[in-house]
Amino acid sequence: MSAPNERIRTFCIIAHVDHGKSTLADRILQVTGAVEERKLREQTLDTMDIERERGITIKAVAVRLHYRAENGGDYVLNLIDTPGHVDFSYEVSRSLAACEGALLLVDAAQGVEAQTLANAYKAIDQDLEIIPVINKIDLPSADVESARRQIHDLVGLNAQEAILASAKEGIGTQTILEAIIRRIPPPKGDREAPLRALIFDAVYDSYRGVIVYVRIVDGRVTKGMKVLMMFNGLRYEVDEVGVFSPEITATDILEAGEVGYVICNIKTLRSTKVGDTITDALKPAAEPLPGYEEVQPVVFCGMYPAVANDYEELRNALEKLQLNDASFQYQADKSDALGLGFRLGFLGLLHMEIIQERLEREFDLTLVTTVPNVAYQIRLKSGERLTIENASKMPPSNLIEEVAEPYIEAEIICPTEYMSGVIELCKKKRGVHVRVDYIDSKRCLAIYQMPLAEIVLDFYDRLKSCTRGYGSLEYRLIGYRPGELVKLDILLNGEAVDALSSIVHRDRAEWVGRTLASKLRTLIPRQQYEIAIQAAIGNRILVRETIKALRKNVTAKCYGGDITRKRKLLEKQKEGKKRMKQIGAVEVPQEAFMALLRVNDGAER
Amino acid sequence: MMQSVGIYIHIPYCRTICPYCDFVRRGIPGEVPEVFIEALCREITAFEGPDRAESVFFGGGTPSLLAPSALRVVMEALRQRFQINSPEITLEANPDDVTPELADTWQDLGVNRMSLGVQSFDDDTLRYLGRRHDDAVARRACEVVRERFANWSMDLIFGAPPVESWVDTLETCRRFNPLHVSAYGLTYEDRTPFARRKDESVDDETYLRLFWQTEEVLSEFVHYEVSNLARPGYACRHNLIYWQNLEYAGFGPAAYSFLDGVRSRNLVNTDAYLRNPGAKAEALRLSDEEIRVETVIQHLRLRDGLFLEDYAQRFGRSVYADFSAETAELVERGLVEEHVGALRPTRRGFEMNNEIGLALVHPQRVSAAKR
Ligand SMILES: Nc1nc2c(ncn2[C@@H]2O[C@H](COP(=O)(O)OP(=O)(O)OP(=O)(O)O)[C@@H](O)[C@H]2O)c(=O)[nH]1
Ligand code: SF4
Ligand SMILES: [Mg+2]
Repeated sequence: MSAPNERIRTFCIIAHVDHGKSTLADRILQVTGAVEERKLREQTLDTMDIERERGITIKAVAVRLHYRAENGGDYVLNLIDTPGHVDFSYEVSRSLAACEGALLLVDAAQGVEAQTLANAYKAIDQDLEIIPVINKIDLPSADVESARRQIHDLVGLNAQEAILASAKEGIGTQTILEAIIRRIPPPKGDREAPLRALIFDAVYDSYRGVIVYVRIVDGRVTKGMKVLMMFNGLRYEVDEVGVFSPEITATDILEAGEVGYVICNIKTLRSTKVGDTITDALKPAAEPLPGYEEVQPVVFCGMYPAVANDYEELRNALEKLQLNDASFQYQADKSDALGLGFRLGFLGLLHMEIIQERLEREFDLTLVTTVPNVAYQIRLKSGERLTIENASKMPPSNLIEEVAEPYIEAEIICPTEYMSGVIELCKKKRGVHVRVDYIDSKRCLAIYQMPLAEIVLDFYDRLKSCTRGYGSLEYRLIGYRPGELVKLDILLNGEAVDALSSIVHRDRAEWVGRTLASKLRTLIPRQQYEIAIQAAIGNRILVRETIKALRKNVTAKCYGGDITRKRKLLEKQKEGKKRMKQIGAVEVPQEAFMALLRVNDGAER
Repeated sequence: MMQSVGIYIHIPYCRTICPYCDFVRRGIPGEVPEVFIEALCREITAFEGPDRAESVFFGGGTPSLLAPSALRVVMEALRQRFQINSPEITLEANPDDVTPELADTWQDLGVNRMSLGVQSFDDDTLRYLGRRHDDAVARRACEVVRERFANWSMDLIFGAPPVESWVDTLETCRRFNPLHVSAYGLTYEDRTPFARRKDESVDDETYLRLFWQTEEVLSEFVHYEVSNLARPGYACRHNLIYWQNLEYAGFGPAAYSFLDGVRSRNLVNTDAYLRNPGAKAEALRLSDEEIRVETVIQHLRLRDGLFLEDYAQRFGRSVYADFSAETAELVERGLVEEHVGALRPTRRGFEMNNEIGLALVHPQRVSAAKR
């Protein structure tokens, strides 16, 4: 039997990256006994290999917990741990929509940062009850009072009620749990109304097919029930329902207010849509739930299988992965240089990296990825308008009237002493100054408008380095603005390589072209024949570099034991070659397609 | 009847250590220690495998540091364990160890082929290489060896500064007229003191010029392997076993064996070896496919290459069935050619020999399990 509504609390943990969300989740799992002591490790809920290696949360994770409150009542808690990195803010939005409340964590040493604000505002927009928690009070550099002030002044919450905690040392966990019971409202859903369940996530399991994660808003769902997906009109019979404890565990029923999963016999991945509403097929609800706003990818790149035969496999992998991460988009694409592949859109560079890594790891693919770019809006002299997400698709310049690029408004928070460096950086990145506010005596908030393309490339890393890691960034799109933009081509042995084209600002084109060509010279290994690399704008060749032919590659001595050692060495080398793409007679390594990202490494101009 | 094998004996000691050398060896002041000889003999005696041998090769390190009595004991142990018919028995020697008396004993003990580590006849080059001997010592050693051994070989190194000393060294070599010459391009190996001096290495063009100069000057020789030249009929029988990927048994620390499809290596550290001679540091059973790949790669270091008929007989299938795409690519790239029933490297194929191997290996196929 399910717990009655008033005994259920559903909340997520939100914060800026690294403020301790997953660690606090560990303490809550521990106190509620949800996970055996011996199975508890640091950031237990970060289960993906990539998450553990990088020490960050990528996917939001839901768990169901049992808690006996101080008032003696037994409660069911649904906790959702969310990621903090800006690229995954879509995960936060989706999680918030399934909750009645949120714990807003603030690192006592760092204070309020850019994603603290962004995520808090999202929760406020959704009318959630927010419980501020000041975490990491065990740190010697913790400044509880200033964190409190910032929560009040910047976020606009009642900071007197902020709970002091150390997720690491387990301080404050009990207080947090009690506050959840006291302050977060129980779900309001009507269990007797027709079923309405919000699909907030889904995964593909090779044994069980699609598993949809749901928040039951109204009604109930049981095994054997006939259900209807309201968005796409497909009908299914429910095979199993259950909860996350934290492993998926079958139950008889899920009722309004509960968070769990549903397995129906969903065969095609495309028939599941995160944000869709599941209802009773026999007694459908009148209105679906609001669902989710479609996310707009901001960064695009091409991904091609290193081995052409893997194209279908890549398509399959993308389909499965998208189910688990609806925030990236893809469509089939063809490159002259790289063959059949896909054009993908992402929420940011880290997002792109993660998707590539997941495709390679979870689906055992080897991919060649092209340098990321933003979308451009082009107005032709004929009056026609088009949007391109791929530099190689740019029409010839004589047909173009105007090229516009996306702009963002960036909010950058950093300690006052680094502000001049940040302003310098923004200027370099073609930023337009809006204003700088002093948050308190120690920190500033700078607002700049700048081309998204500049942020995409390396802004975040540079911001981190010019603020010694203390700068944080949040941005939102504010529309397109025309600019002096040109297409920069790279030619290998006289042939333009579409996958190496980029769109750059006219003032920097020459410099970028030169730097890129010389970067490529170091990245493309010497081969049996000489290779000419040229950078060009239209018909104008900016620079020519040559990679001399490999004249000699021979091991002088090869006797008894050297044989197997040599074979292994050659095998390793050849394995590396798998990541190379044959373009004409030239073998081009994966890094070459990313060379543009590294153009800024060196000194500028 | 059992296969016959080649026998390699590794003597891991040198008087001084040359800075470019990456062989397994250590410096010792005096003679090769008794315990080592004992361990070596124990290993030979306990050897399980073929009983017949067609070649013995004493390599190192510096086998010329063996006292006559020590060499006698080892030869004794070998003859006890193996039936050695019309063998080629080679001993590597450093010029400064060679004396007429010692050379006589070697001959008495059955050594019938000498490999003399001359490296160069130019004093500056020898100094650069950090060798113990000079030009005069090298010449004297050549005289001594030439007077006693019909079959002897000279080891030379090109590419060390002064680079142009190479022609003179070759001319001098020609005058001493050995039956066999090994001419190695100097390699700045990792994990040697020379690793830090890679920028001193000659450019590819110079390297290749010197490389081809060798066969031009030694015009009566056949350039039968990438780094080896011989008068017709005098290719090193022992080393041919490696290049034909046939079986051999190695004794001494770090020595490799290839027996019954298993490539194994003795313990590398000499002290560990002394405690446990014959114990393996690694042993890898090669798959048939790996053996085929290695066989083709090794043969393509040889001027004559791989006879299609030999391959078919050995593996019961044609080279082209196994490597059709690969050989086509190599022919297309001008690295390999078909020549009267054999697949052999072209001149470019010598210069770019590793590219041949690279084209032939298959990284995706999982290699054999460790034993
Ligand atoms: N000293 C101290 N360190 C903490 C505390 N809570 C978390 N940390 C450390 O802060 C780092 C980040 O913790 P996480 O729990 O992964 O942070 P997160 O907010 O989940 O990070 P993302 O999910 O990537 O946004 C880890 O090294 C934790 O050990 C705390 O209370 N005190
Ligand atoms: S080159 Fe020969 S003598 Fe010199 S250290 Fe190496 S093995 Fe010893
Ligand atoms: Mg986390």
